[in-house]
Amino acid sequence: MDGAVQVETAATYGAAASAGSGVTPDSMSFEQLLTPLLSPAFGIAMSLVGNAADAEDAVQDAALRALRGFDSFQPGTNFKAWFYKILTNCCFGRHRQEKRRPAAVDLDDVPDLYLYARTAASGLHTVSSDPAALLMEKMSLEQVRAAIDALPAEYRVVATMFFLDDLTYEEIADMLGIPVGTVRSRLHRGRRMLQKALWLIAEEAGIVQELSRGSA
Amino acid sequence: MTPNRLTCEETFRRLNDYLDRALSPEEKRLVEEHLETCAGCAREFRFEMSLLDNLRAKLSRIDIPEDMLARITRRLEEARRECE
Repeated sequence: MDGAVQVETAATYGAAASAGSGVTPDSMSFEQLLTPLLSPAFGIAMSLVGNAADAEDAVQDAALRALRGFDSFQPGTNFKAWFYKILTNCCFGRHRQEKRRPAAVDLDDVPDLYLYARTAASGLHTVSSDPAALLMEKMSLEQVRAAIDALPAEYRVVATMFFLDDLTYEEIADMLGIPVGTVRSRLHRGRRMLQKALWLIAEEAGIVQELSRGSA
Repeated sequence: MTPNRLTCEETFRRLNDYLDRALSPEEKRLVEEHLETCAGCAREFRFEMSLLDNLRAKLSRIDIPEDMLARITRRLEEARRECE
């Protein structure tokens, strides 16, 4: 992305704002609560709307709506969940046509442990005691993002929320307005699909072949 | 009723919830007890955990547009002034 700034996500937000409980202390101002969430919010918006300009607009819309509606936020509840719910509504409002990116690969019926089995069959388990890390180190951020982008929208959204901000099933369900069981099944199935997408991209880029040569 | 010890199949059925830290403390204990004595399951769980950790580490750095935070902060300040 041109002119982009790479930043850490709000991984410490939970510790700063909620002491791990998801509950927001009463004493924090709107800005103190919002600022650490803007970067991961952009990542989520990117996943939902597909381009940086729309994603920034969606984050800005969400921030403004949150400011205007801050009186309705109940102190002592989860500000992050409240803000991300506003954000997802802004994103979906912008992009009702969620099928803009058809899955690039057939990801139906991916078996459990897909990547484990593939890496084992390719000899990567004899190359490293941590074959998953070995593969991921060789894959670029763009290739990982391309794998996530290959997921159908409903799986991509849940997977993005899970990976970017380590949200619980309940938080994601609340934000998307879907049952907890649906979040759980989409997340688990989405992760299997992601394993296949990662493998196909690694194969196509010659990463698997390169790593396999080390086992010969 | 929760069994005293889990089989490989029962342990595997709990893999995803274990990764998502969605198991009860008792279920988590049972899974970890099995992993201590079953090298095959332990290898599979380690692989899946490493994959998630590595994915999360890679994705945790986000390229945000230059000055996005400043633009949003400015817009929020304007909105505040409009409300006053």
